[in-house]
Amino acid sequence: MHKIADVEIAKNIMDANDRLAHKNLHLLEDHDIFCVDFVGAIGSGKTALIEDLIDNLDEKVGVLAGDIISDFDADRIKSHNAPVVGLNTGTECHLDAHLVGHGLGDLPLDDIDYLFIENVGNLICPVDFQLGSHMRVVVVSVTEGDDTVEKHPYIFKDSDLIIINKIDLADAVGASTDKMVADAKKLNPDVKVITTSLKEGIGLDEVIEAIKDAKAHEAEHHHHHEHSHEHEHSHDHTHEHSHGHEHSHEHEHHH
Amino acid sequence: MHEFAMAQGIFSTVYDTAEANDAIEVTEVVIEIGRLAMLNPEQLKFMLGVMFEGEELTKNAKMIINTIDVDIKCHNCGFEGVGDIDDSDHYAPMILCPECESHRVEVINGKDITVRSISIEKEDDESEE
Repeated sequence: MHKIADVEIAKNIMDANDRLAHKNLHLLEDHDIFCVDFVGAIGSGKTALIEDLIDNLDEKVGVLAGDIISDFDADRIKSHNAPVVGLNTGTECHLDAHLVGHGLGDLPLDDIDYLFIENVGNLICPVDFQLGSHMRVVVVSVTEGDDTVEKHPYIFKDSDLIIINKIDLADAVGASTDKMVADAKKLNPDVKVITTSLKEGIGLDEVIEAIKDAKAHEAEHHHHHEHSHEHEHSHDHTHEHSHGHEHSHEHEHHH
Repeated sequence: MHEFAMAQGIFSTVYDTAEANDAIEVTEVVIEIGRLAMLNPEQLKFMLGVMFEGEELTKNAKMIINTIDVDIKCHNCGFEGVGDIDDSDHYAPMILCPECESHRVEVINGKDITVRSISIEKEDDESEE
């Protein structure tokens, strides 16, 4: 006869990724880099926005460009004289903290003020995966259909800035920009919603201001993070145990 | 689409735990999926089933998948507890405060995927315990 035993595990499958995300964040903060994760569907304008930001920000930008298997986006960004590392996910539909960690090793971290991470074009899968960024920006274009925002509540709820792009084409495709703005505000009442036409340069200044504001706000609160640096590598971040007060800041990183 | 990555994480957790506890067979696996995790439980179950079948240790394991409610804190009225889920017109549900119907809610719990426990059979060994 065999004996039967029940083994309690209580292991959160996302813990490993969350731990690596925190490690990425601390590495970035050690280099005073403000990190923005750009998410959005294929063709929403993520790469175009990053190109415009590189050209118009007065500080240095490094880029991690996620793509399933090509380097097209990385090549586009390279032509703007910004250091860029392409991250190929192979078949996966999202970037994870592990891949980003590898990419960080290939960037000149001492020479950049911003790190922009371009996620894989997808409004669903990236939601669950923290990367270690300070801010998540979601880009949606009116050409995706004006019901796109309400159909993907999580990503809009989890983002810190919402950009509705290609508004110059709204009439041509019969989309209501106002509806998309209203849906976004309903899902995430406290974040800024900016309408843009990157092609015509509309709204770009507002986006730059919002990102700069977020960076300045983060810098103000940076001293708060430094207290816990020494604990980072020895500490096990399983959610079942209550952490000491030194980890109370963690929740500010991912909104 | 990332059910596969999740399934791998769950599978290796189950397998490693079984080995560490000298199991000869895993009979049951209890998994908890938050209602806000971006996963399709049916796809996850299918992939895990394929993985479990591929190993002697896990091939007879019964899978129990429990859905976990969403705990919220409402920034509008201060309510704390289980949030209302409006999935009437959504595959991806919207979360509302049950008291004031505000969307201005912070999700405290309900996004996680957790391997809660496993049941295993072990060889009887009287020299131990």
